[in-house]
Amino acid sequence: MGDIVQIYNDYKDHADFLTVYVREAHPTDEWQMKSNVKDDVCYAQPKTLEQRVAIAKDFTARYKFPLPFGIDDMSNAADNAYAAWPERLYIIDETGHIVYRGGLGPFHYKPAEVRQWLAAKYGAVKQGAQTAAASASRASAPASTSSEGTTSLSVPAKSEK
Amino acid sequence: MKRLLKWFAGILAVLLLAAFGVLCYMAGSPKDAYGMVRYALPHMRRGTLQVGSDAPDVRLVALDGIDRFHIRERLGRRPLVLAFGSFT
Repeated sequence: MGDIVQIYNDYKDHADFLTVYVREAHPTDEWQMKSNVKDDVCYAQPKTLEQRVAIAKDFTARYKFPLPFGIDDMSNAADNAYAAWPERLYIIDETGHIVYRGGLGPFHYKPAEVRQWLAAKYGAVKQGAQTAAASASRASAPASTSSEGTTSLSVPAKSEK
Repeated sequence: MKRLLKWFAGILAVLLLAAFGVLCYMAGSPKDAYGMVRYALPHMRRGTLQVGSDAPDVRLVALDGIDRFHIRERLGRRPLVLAFGSFT
């Protein structure tokens, strides 16, 4: 169904969003994927926080990633607390309790379930309805990426297909 | 007895081969199957959090690399969608 960026565009008036960048899933010095080479997404596993921040900045700049962003520190505290690696989705309610726990990515990473949860609470939003106008206004600007979406996080390219 | 051991070894070999085949299919290639076993599986955890659990509060680094903030600071009067992931 939609990816997380599309969901953000559709529901940002109803819910808050936070992306948490965790340790790399397919760095060059571990299990590199061909698709990452093809899309020139080649990074070694960061050994320092500065390296991790640099990759996060590359990511947000390359894809003009619109979601609020935080970075897990080198102790991997967020990953450890949420069993988040390589990718995972949660929804926390206003009282600080988990109301949705997504499955472990990539096989059970299902943004559609987040959309379903939000739709049940706030009503269905037609995918892309709120971004259509924004896309039209960006039509004269160069595309932000031609990537097929090799990132662990869902990037705009996927949502705009 | 030797014959039984041979049968056991044969069945074990077939099962291992089948498991490797399934891994290759899931990962895409033998090299990727190795990558999955060597680098992915050791880090993948189901975790203990459940729906209804208190959301752990964790300090994160802001994109500027300097500021720090806690996940709970982002909790307001609306649900908070947390999306974990990486670039690669």
